[in-house]
Amino acid sequence: MSGARRLALVLAAFAPLGLACQDLNTPIYFPGPVMPALVLTGMPDAMGNTPRIENGLTLQFRNPTQSEQQALDMQAATLGFMVPWIQRDHVHIEMTYQVTNTDSKDGTWSIGVDGANEFTKYDENIVAMTLGMGNNDPPQYIPLIPVTPQILKAGQTVSGTVREDDFNEAELDLYGIGEWMSPFNAVLINNSQVNPIGIANYVPPTSMYPVQPVIPALIEIDVNFTADAAMTCSYAIRVRDDDNQLLHNTTDTLFSPTPTLFVPPAMTTP
Amino acid sequence: MAALATSWLLAGASVARAQVTAEPAGAVVFPDPNKFARGLYTEGEIGAVAFFGKAGEVVSPGFAVGAHLGYDIFRWLALQAHVLGSTHQISDGNVLAGQLIQTYQATLEGKLTLRFGQTSIFGEGGIGVARLSTNALYALAVEPRYRVGFTAGGGAGLDYHSLSRHFSVGLRGDYLVMTNLSGSQELLATTYLRYTF
Repeated sequence: MSGARRLALVLAAFAPLGLACQDLNTPIYFPGPVMPALVLTGMPDAMGNTPRIENGLTLQFRNPTQSEQQALDMQAATLGFMVPWIQRDHVHIEMTYQVTNTDSKDGTWSIGVDGANEFTKYDENIVAMTLGMGNNDPPQYIPLIPVTPQILKAGQTVSGTVREDDFNEAELDLYGIGEWMSPFNAVLINNSQVNPIGIANYVPPTSMYPVQPVIPALIEIDVNFTADAAMTCSYAIRVRDDDNQLLHNTTDTLFSPTPTLFVPPAMTTP
Repeated sequence: MAALATSWLLAGASVARAQVTAEPAGAVVFPDPNKFARGLYTEGEIGAVAFFGKAGEVVSPGFAVGAHLGYDIFRWLALQAHVLGSTHQISDGNVLAGQLIQTYQATLEGKLTLRFGQTSIFGEGGIGVARLSTNALYALAVEPRYRVGFTAGGGAGLDYHSLSRHFSVGLRGDYLVMTNLSGSQELLATTYLRYTF
């Protein structure tokens, strides 16, 4: 066997391993602010409501380079509206969580995920407070992403995932609410995978407003944890960053937008 | 006539005996290791990798694929490069349960072999680098921020030659310490197919 053929055979043997070693689509994990992040005693608040606790984290992205900013500007000029730097198609978010019932009795827990894109921030507590003005009804919490309430036996632990699909839906909803004046309660209730009216239904598909706008990704994730027994909730955020937009190098500058807090129109009593 | 035939056969047997006694005194060695190919070789391996220590508490054992490229300096001594990739699932009991993580390792090793005909045993050891595919263990406060670190260790194995000159198969086990995973070690066990050029 010639030397060249021998070398080629050796390299061919190593080629599959080399391909496997590439960091294709490698996720990056961000732990919650503290572990365990959210702790509840199960005692109702002064109004008799189920106890809640909230915290969150803001993902740190870099500012666009000059060429990237030029590309964004050109795209915005073509479309006729602002184009986000952190886009849903390039930044994929998932959340994993673990809830433990530390009580001696069974309890019911739920999680609601809110957040902000670079334009708009959604906080279910603000929305509930606004909707509750002028009445004495218990607060109605409408999160961007609801996690179905579950009963957890005493001493047990359950893990779960809020998938990228769920975040995709929330990001579309928040974009519609914040940028296109979409009715927030209708948008949040609608599942776009079942009924894909999406932005197209709120924005006429004219030459100025295309049917498929550029949807921003969440840059802030807020977790609301509710439980009627003593429980803890830990969570972590998993991000797939296709275009390397997360802030890694100290030479890059931090992208720090100031999203506007969404406040729904106040309900008025007749 | 019968007497003539009998004497002819006896004469032939006598000649045959004379031929046997004329053979060389040394016995034929089978299998003859000198006929096995020696020099540049490659190995492809599959097996499993398990972590111990802090990483072992949160990472399940996983499937591994690897390869060696080496050179037999002597029958009993070789130098080899080793690359290995393995994939693992984060264990239950933490917030990242079920997430996948891969490890990539590359080491330079020395290998000592003791042959017993068709079979040989070997010991090997070396140093190299290991890389984790994600920062999952950092998020779980198991590892420092950096995902690349040194690894060192060694192990032993058993090789069985196929008698087809170039091919042999074998089993090996190695135990390595990982500097990027503080207080963690790994055990890898693989079966391999070797081709010597």
